[in-house]
Amino acid sequence: MKYRGAIFFFVGVAAALALGWIGFPRVIYARRVQPVNFSHKVHAETAGSKCEDCHTLRADGSFAGIPGLAQCAGCHTAPMGSTVAEKKFIDEYVTPKREIAWAVYSQQPINVYFSHAPHLKLANLKCEKCHGDEGHADGPRVYEQDRIGGYPRDVWRSMLMKDCIRCHHQNGLEHSCLDCHK
Amino acid sequence: MSSTRRDLLKMTAGVAAGTLFTPAPWRLITDSAILSENWPGIFFSSHGAPTEKFTNCALCTAGCAVKARCVNDRPISLAGVVKSPICALGLAGLHMPFHTARIAHGDAENAAAAVRAAQGKVAVLDLRPGRTASWTYRRAMAALPGGIYLAPQRILNAVNLAAVKTLVSFGAPVLDGWGTPSKVLAAREHFSLIQVEKDQSHTGLLADRWIPVQPGNEPVVAQQIARDLPADGSSLFLSSAELPSVLKMNVTLGNLGHTVIARNETPVPAAWSKQAAAVHAIQNVADRSIGALLIDEASADVAVPWDVIAPKLTNSAVVITFASTQAGYGRYAQFVLPAAVYPEVTTDIPTAIDSVVATFRLATPLMAAPSGVVDAAEFVASLAKLDTKDALQERAASIHATGRGSLLSYSDQKSRPIKDVKADQFWTALNAGACWSDSESPLKAPRWEATIATPAICEAVRPKPPLFTKLYEESGLKGIAS
Amino acid sequence: MNRYAMSIDIDKCTGCGACMIACAVENNVPPLPQSNDRKGITWIRVFPVDNGEQGDTRQSAFLPMMCQQCDSTPCASVCPQQAVQLDVKTGIVGQMPERCLGCRYCMTACPYHARYFNWWDPKWPAGMEATLNPDVAPRMRGVVEKCNFCHGRWHAAKEQAASQGKREAADYTPACAESCPTGAIRFFDLLAGTPEAGSFRLLEKLGTETKIYYRSKRAWVKGLAEAPDGKEHHLA
Repeated sequence: MKYRGAIFFFVGVAAALALGWIGFPRVIYARRVQPVNFSHKVHAETAGSKCEDCHTLRADGSFAGIPGLAQCAGCHTAPMGSTVAEKKFIDEYVTPKREIAWAVYSQQPINVYFSHAPHLKLANLKCEKCHGDEGHADGPRVYEQDRIGGYPRDVWRSMLMKDCIRCHHQNGLEHSCLDCHK
Repeated sequence: MSSTRRDLLKMTAGVAAGTLFTPAPWRLITDSAILSENWPGIFFSSHGAPTEKFTNCALCTAGCAVKARCVNDRPISLAGVVKSPICALGLAGLHMPFHTARIAHGDAENAAAAVRAAQGKVAVLDLRPGRTASWTYRRAMAALPGGIYLAPQRILNAVNLAAVKTLVSFGAPVLDGWGTPSKVLAAREHFSLIQVEKDQSHTGLLADRWIPVQPGNEPVVAQQIARDLPADGSSLFLSSAELPSVLKMNVTLGNLGHTVIARNETPVPAAWSKQAAAVHAIQNVADRSIGALLIDEASADVAVPWDVIAPKLTNSAVVITFASTQAGYGRYAQFVLPAAVYPEVTTDIPTAIDSVVATFRLATPLMAAPSGVVDAAEFVASLAKLDTKDALQERAASIHATGRGSLLSYSDQKSRPIKDVKADQFWTALNAGACWSDSESPLKAPRWEATIATPAICEAVRPKPPLFTKLYEESGLKGIAS
Repeated sequence: MNRYAMSIDIDKCTGCGACMIACAVENNVPPLPQSNDRKGITWIRVFPVDNGEQGDTRQSAFLPMMCQQCDSTPCASVCPQQAVQLDVKTGIVGQMPERCLGCRYCMTACPYHARYFNWWDPKWPAGMEATLNPDVAPRMRGVVEKCNFCHGRWHAAKEQAASQGKREAADYTPACAESCPTGAIRFFDLLAGTPEAGSFRLLEKLGTETKIYYRSKRAWVKGLAEAPDGKEHHLA
């Protein structure tokens, strides 16, 4: 056959591409289930909460991030709806006063300093710009964690250093290493 | 058609080439680097709500005001409060609970049994007298048959730094560890410092005049220096070893009532004074009479040399020490019971040597003490079947009842007379970081006996925070005078 | 825009080391392993110095030294990794341990011996990790570190200002200046203030254009700043 060698070569290439692009992500990422089946949709639409109601800037400017148990327990000391997830949440976390160990989608290395205050107050960015449209999701997004490095897949999609730098460049903001590293 | 080895090789080459165009190898390389950043032992801090807590530093009797910066209610750094800085030891005090030599377990039950079974006197040696715990010991020893209360005797108990024009220090570390840093530094410009010691210390390097002396020659040198000073009460003689011959110069130069003063003790409930055992110096105890000795060295400012203590013990005496490491009296004790350390401890701090008025301040815990810790005062109180759980609050109430003095709260830096503070507000404020100071009154001269024996005092073996030791050794600040 | 600097009164320094401890606590310097290398890690270090005489005429002083925050940085110019950057917005010479490969060329280049190397991974006694400052990242072994004018506190000041809609960082105080019991260390902005009259900088003739100003009424101390005095000084 004339192109026998080439056919085998390209079969190999195709196999590698398939394994690498489809098989590898399945293997390298472990799926983790969030401890509570939290629905943003219910809270935003039925309860009428806005992002800032739970994800607040404190008085000193630091960002409260994912709210602690106290924030949730403020409303959920008794079941407010009829879902199994809420009952489970109250039994496992509110009653024994146990903080929820959320898996953080945007987890950054410890030497990264990101401050929400200038992005929210000075640049007036919307939450969706970096975190996607979470406000209407009915359940937590699937959390995939790199088995070796430990970082979530979402970080690789849109929260690497180059993504921050790109936006800063586009907006003509001068920045130094010390601005974002601690 | 059958495949050949060449086909396999071509396919392998294809796989290799194709792999380079997939994320796999690049991600694995990156991950191996990331893995090395996340070794076990790399600390991941958690962020949380920042808060401030106030307390008083219990590392020495200066009892400086402390502002703790906390995250998630855990203290992460300490600082002084406005106009009242804390010293290097106090700054590192946050790490005291994590000292590697810290003991975690002690046999409290058998220790108590041994005390109960002891033949002879039961003695408590309190190396930081003046606290509420000290009064607990005194009350317990009065209630226990054969109980006596021992404390190191000091000749000089209170000084008035503001009136000092010449300070002659025989070995006292005036500028690095003596007194209250804020008071000493505030007064520094107004006095000339003469440091007399065998080896030049840190204070010696900073003194206006440094005089080397051979041990034993101190009385002669003291007299020489005193001859050149005016007898108008503007000088102050200090001696780290409480040498009577040196301290007597204060009498000669008329310092009593001016720079050396008698100060009221912080008030105690009247019932306590009636119930309390007298204070004895260990030298005055009969030889071979103590069957059980309990030493509270957890917060020791000074110590008593063991060769002074040993002759007073019976042959079968049991020695129990309350300490955080084995290094002090632990070498001689049968039982070493682990004590809480600053900043875990709840206690009151005796008035500092350079305070002209009596004070009362609490060290309130910034973190929880580990589970094996034994509270020395509770241990001794239980031996005498006394209930002293609320002793600190009782003492605070008796202070409030006198109606004297003022309360300075650290959170707002406001000082209010006691008359304007209700009793429960007083107690709450003390626990949130505050200091009660007695009202000022005319300075009194202390009683001075004609012949005083040299007190048996030596330097206490005190664990230093690990960071303090490390930085001092690395920088050469330790032992710089050599 | 800021140009942060420090002004230190050597006559006020008692060599107590409070600044060294406060700096180590703020910046998560580990107490273990007990280092047996020459210098350990002291982002600010107090050097005892004296006028070289003996007996009654001997005088001592203490010199607190940290990174001199040069405008003309010898360290940045030799770094093969661009792990050092002079931030034009603040004047702080920022050390980036994440870029550092540990060649220690910068340590050789620094005329002030203000840079320190992590020979070992940091180790904290069990339980002590809870007292670490979350605003400063710990460094692993093999990288150089130095004073960054308490960048963790600067971040907090910027964040507080931003939450109020302001672009300029609020005033902040580094740990050493805050903890000094005698007030010998003053942190200020050169764009808003000036060093005291009679201030000098260390080794000015090298042209490093440092931003740490020292002052002393004693002539021999000023003499030390101008040139190495030819005597052996043990930095260990």
